[in-house]
Amino acid sequence: MRLSKITITLAVIAGLIMSSCESDWLDREPPNILLDDQVWNDPGSITGVLSNFYDRLPAHTTLQAGWVDFAAYDEATWSGYTGNDYLNNLLTYDYGRWGLWDYNLIRDINLSIQKLNTYSTLSEDQRTQFISELRFIRAFVYFEHVKRMGGVPIITEELVYDFSGDPTYLQFPRNTEQEVYDFVISEMEEIMPTLGNGQSITRANRFIALAVVSRAALYAGSIAKYNNLMPSPISLPGGEVGIPASAAEGYFTKSLEASRSILQEGGYALYNNNPDLGENFYEAIVSKSSNSEVLWVQDYLSSADKRHWFTYDNVARSVREDNLASSALTPILNLVEDYEYLDGSSGELRTRTADGSDYIYYDNVEDIFANKDARLYGTIIYPGAPFRGQEIFMQAGVMEWNGSGYDRIEFADQQPDLGSVYADGGVLKAEAGPHRSLQDVSNTGFYLRKYVDDTPGASTRGNLSEVWWVRFRLGEIYLNAAEAAFELGESGEALGYVNTLRERAGFGANSLASVTLEQIRHERRVELAFEDHVVWDYKRWRVAHLKWSGSTENPESMAYSLYPYRVVRPGDPRDGKFVFVKEVVPRFRAPRFFRLGNYYSLIGQNIIDANPKIVRNPFH
Amino acid sequence: MKLNIIQSCLLLVLGFMVASCEYDNFEEPKSTLTGRIVYEGEPLGVRNQGVQLELWQHGYDLFQKIPVYVSQDGTFSAKLFNGDYKLTLIRGNGPWMDQTDSLDVSLSGSQEIDVEVNPYFTIDAPSYEIVNDTIVRANFTVNQINATSTLELAAVYLGRTSLTDRVRKEGDEEVFGEQITPGTPATVDVTIPNGLRGRGDLFVRVGVKTLGVEELLYSQVDNVSIN
Repeated sequence: MRLSKITITLAVIAGLIMSSCESDWLDREPPNILLDDQVWNDPGSITGVLSNFYDRLPAHTTLQAGWVDFAAYDEATWSGYTGNDYLNNLLTYDYGRWGLWDYNLIRDINLSIQKLNTYSTLSEDQRTQFISELRFIRAFVYFEHVKRMGGVPIITEELVYDFSGDPTYLQFPRNTEQEVYDFVISEMEEIMPTLGNGQSITRANRFIALAVVSRAALYAGSIAKYNNLMPSPISLPGGEVGIPASAAEGYFTKSLEASRSILQEGGYALYNNNPDLGENFYEAIVSKSSNSEVLWVQDYLSSADKRHWFTYDNVARSVREDNLASSALTPILNLVEDYEYLDGSSGELRTRTADGSDYIYYDNVEDIFANKDARLYGTIIYPGAPFRGQEIFMQAGVMEWNGSGYDRIEFADQQPDLGSVYADGGVLKAEAGPHRSLQDVSNTGFYLRKYVDDTPGASTRGNLSEVWWVRFRLGEIYLNAAEAAFELGESGEALGYVNTLRERAGFGANSLASVTLEQIRHERRVELAFEDHVVWDYKRWRVAHLKWSGSTENPESMAYSLYPYRVVRPGDPRDGKFVFVKEVVPRFRAPRFFRLGNYYSLIGQNIIDANPKIVRNPFH
Repeated sequence: MKLNIIQSCLLLVLGFMVASCEYDNFEEPKSTLTGRIVYEGEPLGVRNQGVQLELWQHGYDLFQKIPVYVSQDGTFSAKLFNGDYKLTLIRGNGPWMDQTDSLDVSLSGSQEIDVEVNPYFTIDAPSYEIVNDTIVRANFTVNQINATSTLELAAVYLGRTSLTDRVRKEGDEEVFGEQITPGTPATVDVTIPNGLRGRGDLFVRVGVKTLGVEELLYSQVDNVSIN
C-alpha cells in the first residue's frame, strides 16, 4: 500500500489533535444520570426520592386509582359507563381481589436506607431524619400488606443474588400476622422522636406515625378478638394468619394511647369554619384553607400539573360541564338511611304511612330529608339538595291517578328522556334523573358529594380537579379512640368521643346518654363513608361474610334506590306533591357475596413457585 | 393492479395451503378423569361452583394446582394428560371433615373415581308434597356423622332452575339447628313466593349447615310438579 505525502501529513496532524484531548475522556461524569453520591448528599434530591415513594403507597380505593371499586361494596353502585356494570354484578369477590405483594417498593426503600448509610456525608441529624421517614413509609407499606394478605416476610435489607445457582438463601418464609403488626407498631414508635417535619400534612411527622399506630393496633386488636369468636377461627398452623385472643387487650391499649396523644398534644381540631353544618362537613374533607382536621393527605396541585379525574367522572348529571362521563358513583339508599334523624330516631326514610296503605306526600322533593344528620348533606347529593349553588332536582316520573290507583309513568315519547315534559305541562323526568337504564345518570336517586370538587371548571377535561385525598383525619382518630376505649371497658370515654363527633353533625351536645359497640360501628360507617374504610372494617370485625352473604333476602347484600315521583291528580289537594318508591337498584343484579376465603387474599402461584417456603392462605 | 388467471390460481392455491397448516403444535389433553364425592357410596350434593378439588402433578418444573370444581350433584370431571396425579381436598372448603391425605390417581385413558369423604351431617330421603298449591312441605332426616359438630341450620330452597342453592334461589325457609333433632324426621314448610306461583314445576333442595363451615351439604335437586 502506497501512501501519499498528503495522507501521511493528515494522519500525523490527526494524531496530534487527538493526543491533545483530555486524558480522562472516558472517565467523565454522565451529563444525564445522577450518581449515588450526588443523590444521597443533596437534601433536594432525597426529597424527590421520598416524594416518589409517597406517591407509590398502595391503596385500595383513592381518588386516582381504584375509585371505581367504591361501587363494589355497600356504599354506592355504578351508574356510569355501562361497560363497567360488572361492578354492580360481581357474583363473588375474587380471592385475589385485595392481593398485594409490592416487594419492588420495599426493595427500593431498603436500598435507599442502605445508600443513605453508605454514601451520604450529610449531618448525622439530617440523615437520621431521612432514614426515619423512609422507615415510616416502609412500615406503612407493611401495614398495607398485612391487612390484605396476613403475615408476609419482613425484609429490611437489600437482598443480593450471588449467581451461584442456588437462590434458597433469598427465600424467606412468611412472618406471622402478629409479627408484622408488631413490626409496624414498633417501627413507628422507634422513629417518632427523629421524624421531624413539624406540622406537615403531606410528609410523615410524629402525629401521623401515631395515627398509623392508632389504626394498625386497632385492626390487630379486633382481629385478635373477633377472629377467635368465630365458630371456627381462620388460622394457619404457623400463625401466618390469625392472632391469639390474649393479644387483643394489648393492641387496644396501644391504639387508645396513640389516639389520646394525638387528641391531646396534636393541636388538631375538628373543622368547624362554616355555620352551615352540612357544607361544613363537606369542607372538612375537601377544603384546603385553614383545615385543622386533616393529619395526612395525598395532595394535588394544578400548577404542578398534578390533577385527577374524579370530579369529571362523578359530578352530578345536571351540573356537569363536559359532555361525557358524569355520575359514575352513585350512593345507595342503604347508606342514606344509615344517617339518623336529628331527634335520634332511626334514619329510615318515611315513604309510606304507618299502616302501609298509602304514600306519604311531600310538598318539596327535599322535604323527606329534613332534619337528618348533617353528614348526609356533606356526603351525598339527595334530590333537591344544592351543589355549586344550583338545586339538583330529581324526579323519576309521574304518578297519575286513574280513579282507583296510581299509574307510574316514567318514559317520554319525546327524546331525550331527561328534562322531558308530561302531558299536563309539568316535568316528567328531571334533568338529573334518576333513570333506570341510561348511562351517566343516577341509577339510585342520589349523587356523590364527598370528594367531588365544587370549583367551577373542575369537571371539565381541560381543568380537572385538585381536591386532595385524605389518608388520615381527626374524625377517624376520634372513632378509633372510641372503639378502642369501648373494647377496653372505658365506655364513658368512648361516649365522649362519639358525642363530640355527633355534635359537629348537628346533634347537639351529649346527644347520646350511653353508647354500644353497634353505635360506634354505625358512626364509623356514616362519618367515614367513601374514605376507603368499609371493607377493612368489615374484615377485621369478621362480619363481612354475614353482611355480604350473597342472598337476595339479606338487605345488606342488596343495593336499594329511592325514586321520587310527582303526583298527577287534578282537583285533589295531593296534586303536584311528591311521593317516593324504594326499590332494588335497577342496574344491580347480583347480591354482594363475600366468602370466608376472602378474609385473606390469594398469594399468587408465581410467588409460591419462586419461593416454596410461602404457605398458601386458608381456603385457597 | 391486474392479475392474470394463472397468478390468481397460484395465489388461491397458496391461500389453501396456508389455511390448512396446523399452527397448534401442542397436543391437547385427551384423557378424562371423572368422579364423584361420595359418602357410603352415595354422592353428596354441594353448591354449584362452591367446592373445589385440587389436582397436583409432581415431577415438572412449575408445581401448580389444576383446580377442579365439583358440580352440584357431587360429580366432577377434568380433561388431562395421562400421568400420575395427586388429588387433594382444600382445608375448610367443603361440608366435610378436613382430610390431609391426598388420593393417588394414575391416569391412562379415561377413568372414574370415587372420592370418599366424611361429612359432618347427611340428609336422608327427602320427600316433598304440595299443600294447597301454596306450600312445599319437605320431610327429611338429618343424620349426625361427626359427633362433635353442631348443626347451625337446616333449610329448604326453592328455585326455578335446577341450579338451586343457598345463594341462587327464589324462595327458602331456614330453621335453626335447635329445632331439628338429628336422627328423627323433620318437616319444614316453605311458602311458595309470588314469583314462582303459576308454574308447572319447581326445583327443591334441602341443605344443612354446620356451625363454622361455610359450605352447606345439600340433597340432590328434586323437580316437583305443581299446578
